[in-house]
Amino acid sequence: MSAPTKRSHRRALVAILVAAGALAAIPYAGLPLFYESFLYLVFHWIVLATSWNILSGYTGYFSFGHGAFFGAGMYTTAVLASRFDVPFLWTLPAAAGVAMLLGASLGTVVFRAREIHGELFALVTLAFTFVVGTIVLNTSIDGGPGLYLSGVPVPVIGPSGASSFYYMGLALALGTLLIAFGIVHSKFGAGLFAIHDDEDVAEVMGVPTFWYKIAAFSVSCGLAGMAGGIYALFVSYVTAGETFSIIVPLTVVLMSVLGGTRHWAGPAVGAAVITALLYSFTAGNHAIAGKAVFGAVLIVVILFMPQGILGWFSRRRPVKCNGPEVQQGMMLSNALARSQPKRAASTDRVLVARGLRKAFRGVQALDGVDVEIRRGEILGLLGPNGSGKSTFINLVSGHYRPDAGEILFEGRDLANCPAHEIARGGIARTYQIPRPFANLTVRDNVTVAAMFGSANLSREAAERESQKWLDFTQLARRADVRPDELNLHQRKFLELARALASRPSVVLLDEVLSGLMPTEINEAVDLIHAIRDQGATIVFVEHVMRAVMALTDRIVVLNHGLVIAEGSAAEVMARPEVVTAYLGRSHA
Amino acid sequence: MLELRSIEARYGAATALWDVSLRVDPGELVCVVGPNGAGKSTLINVIAGVHRVTSGSIRLGTSDLAKVPSHRFCSEGIAIVPEGRRLFATMTVRENLELGSYIASAKARRKTSLERVCEMFPMLRAKLEHRAETLSGGQQQMVAIARALMACPQMLLLDEPSLGLAPTIVVEVFHTIQRINADGVAVLLVEQNVAMALDIANRSYVLEEGRIVAEGTPAELLAQPHIRRAYLGVGSDESG
Amino acid sequence: MALPSLALLAQSILSGIFIGALYGLLGLGLSLSWGLLRQINLAHFALAFLGAYLCYQLSAVGGMDPLVAMLLIVPSFFIIGVALQWVFARFRISAFNSLLVTFGLTVIIEAVIQAIWTADFRRLTSVYGDTTFRVGGLYVPMSELLTLVLSVTLSLAIWAVLRYTDGGRAMRAAAEDGGIATAFGVNQKALAMLLSGTCAALAGVAGVCIALSYTLAPSQIYTWIGVVFAAVMLGGLGRALGPLIAGIVIGVSEAVTMAVTAPSWAPLVSFSLLIIVLLVRPHKA
Repeated sequence: MSAPTKRSHRRALVAILVAAGALAAIPYAGLPLFYESFLYLVFHWIVLATSWNILSGYTGYFSFGHGAFFGAGMYTTAVLASRFDVPFLWTLPAAAGVAMLLGASLGTVVFRAREIHGELFALVTLAFTFVVGTIVLNTSIDGGPGLYLSGVPVPVIGPSGASSFYYMGLALALGTLLIAFGIVHSKFGAGLFAIHDDEDVAEVMGVPTFWYKIAAFSVSCGLAGMAGGIYALFVSYVTAGETFSIIVPLTVVLMSVLGGTRHWAGPAVGAAVITALLYSFTAGNHAIAGKAVFGAVLIVVILFMPQGILGWFSRRRPVKCNGPEVQQGMMLSNALARSQPKRAASTDRVLVARGLRKAFRGVQALDGVDVEIRRGEILGLLGPNGSGKSTFINLVSGHYRPDAGEILFEGRDLANCPAHEIARGGIARTYQIPRPFANLTVRDNVTVAAMFGSANLSREAAERESQKWLDFTQLARRADVRPDELNLHQRKFLELARALASRPSVVLLDEVLSGLMPTEINEAVDLIHAIRDQGATIVFVEHVMRAVMALTDRIVVLNHGLVIAEGSAAEVMARPEVVTAYLGRSHA
Repeated sequence: MLELRSIEARYGAATALWDVSLRVDPGELVCVVGPNGAGKSTLINVIAGVHRVTSGSIRLGTSDLAKVPSHRFCSEGIAIVPEGRRLFATMTVRENLELGSYIASAKARRKTSLERVCEMFPMLRAKLEHRAETLSGGQQQMVAIARALMACPQMLLLDEPSLGLAPTIVVEVFHTIQRINADGVAVLLVEQNVAMALDIANRSYVLEEGRIVAEGTPAELLAQPHIRRAYLGVGSDESG
Repeated sequence: MALPSLALLAQSILSGIFIGALYGLLGLGLSLSWGLLRQINLAHFALAFLGAYLCYQLSAVGGMDPLVAMLLIVPSFFIIGVALQWVFARFRISAFNSLLVTFGLTVIIEAVIQAIWTADFRRLTSVYGDTTFRVGGLYVPMSELLTLVLSVTLSLAIWAVLRYTDGGRAMRAAAEDGGIATAFGVNQKALAMLLSGTCAALAGVAGVCIALSYTLAPSQIYTWIGVVFAAVMLGGLGRALGPLIAGIVIGVSEAVTMAVTAPSWAPLVSFSLLIIVLLVRPHKA
């Protein structure tokens, strides 16, 4: 991690702790009790909004079920404290635990179904809330009239009864913010943000998406549950109808979106603002006007500041371009190309595909394909459009599962491995139409690959590794911009840098040269040679004939999902059946 | 009839077309060839009104298309057969064809147009009530062309009609395009399959990296060694 | 759990059909705008309630026949819908953000309702609400029968329009592939405004039906959201007959559950159904 970033992290942490310290002194300041109650509520919503954001803001899986977990925590505490006389503070870990378990169970079922995201996930979680609420209402957990906690002794922390809640709320809010801060700056957080932008690509790059989502959801639910436990005693009377409703989730969504969902402190800012707004209108006649303002604020924020308050601020800071490192990069790749002798391809087989079949909606993309890839070679995969080349790459990288056949890699059959394990095993790929993580900088795109691929580096080491590959592909100058500001050539090189940063043993390149100008193609060819000379095996789908001739040791030609020829480039491309397949008719 | 002058078009921050000028005269069959990512689809989308230009002019006959809103392009006489067919998958073949003749002028002639396309593509009649997504690639391509014909266009735009199709089907498709052109409809065809495209074109342009780099009749273009090597180097003695 | 008598069961099923028809009517506008416009219009419920309150005002206070009031409310709501779409189109909002913006609208409308009519319960008494037919051994309240008739008629009408007219086909095509629909002459902006107006008008009709059969309170807006969303999802987005059929299925299963066990178990049925359907057969929204 660079020094400035470390400094800013330390500054942020210090700021949090100082603020917490200052807040801790307030009950002793002799202010009216109203302020302590108000601040408790602010802390309460900070916890709810920030915890919600851990799954929903970072991964993009917007949950409308936060009420279910909050409620689960509330009821756990209520039941344990009022019925079983468990001391209040002991009920809190139980509340967190129950909520966490509930969330993990729901997540296990829902996250398996790949099509459930976006609005569908929101609805499933909302429906879940009503289901849980109905069960709570109808069984002996609540039974109907609600639960009273007025007989439960409130632990005394600080000068008064009210200050107990204040300190509990403050402690939980502090803990939640520290957890959020930690997640955002960790490898786990990087994975979550990658899932947000393109879950399929993240998975193929080695992020264990299912487990990460479950983990984020569990943390989120656990924190909400604990907040619920504290709140139960605060209000001292819990009912199912008010708890398991759409109000809690909608409020936390509003708070997080207002503050900024990509920032660890965003939901906290939103929570403070909204709670203050609501409170200032609760008095008497203004309650109705307050509601209207609340609604208007939401509309204005979504329309004009879709990134939230903190997001809006961070976008306004200009991005500095790093110094010209072009010359250095080019020299590096040329030096690499010249210094090492061209490694001769061995006959040792690193990957063998046998009998691969895959159909999409009635179209047989691959119809029984056998391909063998030898260690250290550059294998060209050719064929007319629609012949199955991209499908082959998608199967080998784990993007899709084959309908039949096997893929043996270093002895293991990849055909039914989840994609993130395939990436861990050392296979990396580029996409024909580049698919960078749109909300991450160029640098972060490459760093994610270094963290989750077979290199499996820590965040700091990954940042160093990504710098190396950014230099190699001459993207260092533009490392801190977003991918949508790059042109096609640069985006293709970003794909390449990402694939290489994971230190793969097999690299699958999908039309990395198409659309490039002749000089750019020369550079790319040199790069690819350099990559192979560092020990990687390359499978290379391409149409640009002169690159195919210059680079490949062997080629395989596909047509209509079948292999029709295999051998050295010059020899294969002269065969009449290949020319016919490719061009339709041969031209003299 | 169709005239583009110094067109510039962008996708986000990236410029897809630079200073592109071309023309299609009435009844002509013009091809634009070039490698992947050259901007061929952007060119077609710009002419069809699906994408807007940032500078330059597009004139069709006397109309300045830059002033025309996207949904009026069809009434000006342009119909598109998009890349990858882009049929309305959940709607039936008949509904797709009816949508093709949505504009008022085509709607009036809907019945006769439907008859004509069924004659031209006999396999359509049997599939009229089937959902478009159940058809094979080649059949979908026929439906896409038929849909465009239902608009009774003066000019047909085709974006990579050979994509994903078996060679024998591609031959059929290109024969069909020639027949349509023979009926008097001007055709602008964008293709990666250079050999097939040059086979049927009256005139052709070569588009690389968003710019027109060559123009002429197929014979003139094939005579240029750069073109020959880049696109037809396969199988010839000159390799790499 | 006690097994109910046949008469009770039949009456329950009938009630289920009636309330299901209302779910369907409420869901119709929501489903159309979600499926065809990619907008999740949470404000649909608030709008319906606004219509209900307006009907109450015109009828209970103004002395107008509720059905005549409907003739006034529906066109005005159509205009509101068109205006809303005009605003929406200027900001290109994603489906999810439309949910949030319309939530804001909901809160505003709720505040307006509360400001004008207060939080007190309001009940519209009318000849429709008071008349009950007896068919066989079953009780058929006139207002609910009216709701059923309106719901079925409107659903069928819209289904026919989407199926058989050029405009309807154009809307379906635009929802599937807007770019190509435009290339063939479909004026998406105009159609979107037309559709949005229609959905708002449908909300108005639903509101009048609610006013005829139910007691009104501002907080009631939220009680319908969950179950109507369930009906919309179960019925398939953008399908005109979907919400009606799904609504009736949910209504009947809820009613039977209520007859067999206790009323408070009813939500379990609809929401569990929804979850199961979403997991087994997720729709592309």
